[in-house]
Amino acid sequence: MAAGYVRPAGQLDFTTALSPYAGPWNDRLAAHLMRRAGFGATPDEVARYGAMSPHDAAEALIHFPDTSRLAPPPGVMAYPDPRRIAFKGMDDMQKRDAARARRKEAIGDILALQEWWLNRMLTTPAPLQEKMTFFLHGHFTTAAIQKGVWPNLVLAQNQLFRQNALGNLHDLTIAVSKDPAMLLYLDNAENNKSHPNENYSRELMELFTLGLGSYTEEDVRQSARAFTGWTIDRRTGEFTFNPRTHDDGTKTFLSRTGNFDGTDIVDIIYQQRACERFWAKSLLSAFVYNDPEPELVDEFANVISRNHFELAPSMSVLLRSNVFYSQRAYRALVKSPVEFVVGAHKSLDLATIVEGTPQALRAMGQILFYPPNVAGWPGGANWLTSQMLIARENFIARIVNAQTATQSSWLAAVPLDAKRASREFIAAILQNDAPSQAYVQLIAYLDGAGTSALGALSVENYDERARGAAYLTMAMPAYQLG
Amino acid sequence: MTMTMKRGRFLLGALSGLTVVANMDHVLARALAGTPLPGLPGASDRVVLLINLQGGNDGLNCVVPHGNPQYYQLRPTLAVPQSDVLAIDANVGFNPQMRALKVMYDKGEVAVVQGVGYPNPDHSHFRSTEIWQTAAPETYEHTGWLGRYLDEAGLPKNNLFNGVAVAQVLPEVLVSNQVDVPSIASLNGYGLLSDRNATAKRTYTELVTDHGFPFQSPYLAHVAEIEDHAQRGSEELPKLVAGYKTDATYPATPLGRSLALAAQIAGSNIGTKVLYVQHGSFDTHVSQKATQDRLLGEFSDAIGAFYDDLAAHGNDTRVLTLTFSEFGRRIAENGSRGTDHGEASPLFMIGGGVKGGLYGQMPDLSDTNMGNVRYSTDFRSVYATVLERWLGRPSQTILAGNFSQLPVLA
Repeated sequence: MAAGYVRPAGQLDFTTALSPYAGPWNDRLAAHLMRRAGFGATPDEVARYGAMSPHDAAEALIHFPDTSRLAPPPGVMAYPDPRRIAFKGMDDMQKRDAARARRKEAIGDILALQEWWLNRMLTTPAPLQEKMTFFLHGHFTTAAIQKGVWPNLVLAQNQLFRQNALGNLHDLTIAVSKDPAMLLYLDNAENNKSHPNENYSRELMELFTLGLGSYTEEDVRQSARAFTGWTIDRRTGEFTFNPRTHDDGTKTFLSRTGNFDGTDIVDIIYQQRACERFWAKSLLSAFVYNDPEPELVDEFANVISRNHFELAPSMSVLLRSNVFYSQRAYRALVKSPVEFVVGAHKSLDLATIVEGTPQALRAMGQILFYPPNVAGWPGGANWLTSQMLIARENFIARIVNAQTATQSSWLAAVPLDAKRASREFIAAILQNDAPSQAYVQLIAYLDGAGTSALGALSVENYDERARGAAYLTMAMPAYQLG
Repeated sequence: MTMTMKRGRFLLGALSGLTVVANMDHVLARALAGTPLPGLPGASDRVVLLINLQGGNDGLNCVVPHGNPQYYQLRPTLAVPQSDVLAIDANVGFNPQMRALKVMYDKGEVAVVQGVGYPNPDHSHFRSTEIWQTAAPETYEHTGWLGRYLDEAGLPKNNLFNGVAVAQVLPEVLVSNQVDVPSIASLNGYGLLSDRNATAKRTYTELVTDHGFPFQSPYLAHVAEIEDHAQRGSEELPKLVAGYKTDATYPATPLGRSLALAAQIAGSNIGTKVLYVQHGSFDTHVSQKATQDRLLGEFSDAIGAFYDDLAAHGNDTRVLTLTFSEFGRRIAENGSRGTDHGEASPLFMIGGGVKGGLYGQMPDLSDTNMGNVRYSTDFRSVYATVLERWLGRPSQTILAGNFSQLPVLA
């Protein structure tokens, strides 16, 4: 049945949609903010943000604290691989074995980077910085290892997104166009004037900045010419401009004519209304709801335009707006697997990512640093296939068994009374977003129905029942929704 | 950790016995209640397997115009040498990696339809893939052409497996208004692993249909429905296909594994009409030869094993394979020994029910559209042929138009 993106039902008042929200504020809305501007929140964090005003909560996320004391990334294999030279003198078999060993090492490095990033998402005092980094990773996609995108280039790109998490989109687009991982992934490193390679030129416009319908095939070819000679130095692995392979002839691009290079192309793109609307739609779809109305896109495009593509003030408007806190936006997104797993750790108040989480993410269809293709991960109902949903349920079945689960402050304090305990579980994990029948079922479970050891909730069976109740609460449909 | 693990295992052991008994009852009950299962081979028993060669397969190095000197001029480093081509005739032949497919071609089981495309071709991977899957070049449709077939074919509503995507993500081609098509990449991992899942299933059977949620979400009903289908489907499918035994040896590739599962599902008579798998990526902007050769070899080898398996079970005449790719590639190679996005390309129809041979027009390399192969056969003609002549359904509504059919099917 339905796949893809679904807009909430009903009508929106566009004239006030982006005005600051001034309605009632509570833990439920604070948790909504933390799911969108972060990866969920522990009950303590919800209470902390719930005690602020919506304005202060958003500002605290945007003007985030220093994160330089978080754990540094693991050391990873460098490009260019020093052992490449050692290949000399090997026979074919030895070369193949050496290449295999190198690839295996690179895969291990990527796994270490995934664990590092997931832990950072979980523990950072600046959740919006990580959320924007994650958003940008899905937007300006690059996949690891293939085409020589070695782990250090993956890490460098990830740090580029983090440094520009709330920076300027125009400047970031220029930096991405020179980013070694991107130059390799979309082949611009090979783009030369004798036979231009159009791959980066096309995706820059279609998927990164303008969207289909805002340029012609001829624009793709002309822009590819402008990006010729933007390549990487094969010795250092860094960006370099090669004037010998650059086409310095006249190009006509989006109705402008001149001797353009890549920077000129990005400048011209960022003068287009389509670019403002493209980013507005991307950000609304990721942070508010899918398939936003064209009128809402226009309103937010105006905000982006007034702020000259600066993310911090634009996101500040969005995260404080009426539409963001409207019923239309509430639980209107499907959690991506990464949001789901990091959020599950937050719900259980776990301090570190449980072993095996990157592998579990693979079964759910989302492998960090390996988007399926240049369009990034498809969201919305695409996350809800039979097998992916089973993988999610199997993951929460495992995570509630983590040794640390009942060390969490709130789980340890749940009262030994099935009725009160059920309310606490549904409040802490689901912000009460469950039908009345759910409370009835959870009370029955806590009092022994459906478990091997019968009998009311007690000190003896508390540990097992609490884990089970946490599982049951996270298995409810609302928990799939962001 | 140790303590928890032990307890978990103990509980898993204690409960899984009960669960299995309950599941068996459920399956038996369904069987006894007369879930319609197809009978003898015939039109009602036919299956379509769609293979998406995603990324844009270069048609010219797949079905090679080795008799055309222009091809060699435009592809100085990439052209397949004439002596390597597995020649069909003096003009065209298969890429040398496609030996298994050539063997099937020689047996009359492969139709090569050349120059397939659509008007005003789009060069975006994503839009063009969408066009191929929705069969709608001019409008934006939310259902796929095979999804619309599933909607109108009158298949049993209680069967969870009328269509199966052997993939992780549901492809747009199988999106329908009424039929939920499960996406099952592999039977490993298609099952609830823990006693807690079993507990949840018992506890929440009622909740997934309960609409008393204190919020609205455009996805809530969808989540509840997929949760229900996933739980029931993962219980049933492994048992329904467990009786299928095969001696076929599939290549140890992702496509080989996918086709092994497709043969198992198609051969288990569970009413599946439509299967989908994908293979790629064929997006060969750089150093095309190594990548495309590998992918075409994997494709050909997996198809060979698939039809051996099907034939051993008498299913080769029941299963029609149709390939597609979002576009072919530019005729002239680029400066990085690759090719950029192009337009028309050939596709394959494979199986014992096919009248093998060459169909459509060979690409004209001198009359091009900005350096791309012009289409000569509308892709909807191929779809109309499959719908009308293979699945026995009218195609006009599904394809929003009347398209001529090819004499490809026996």
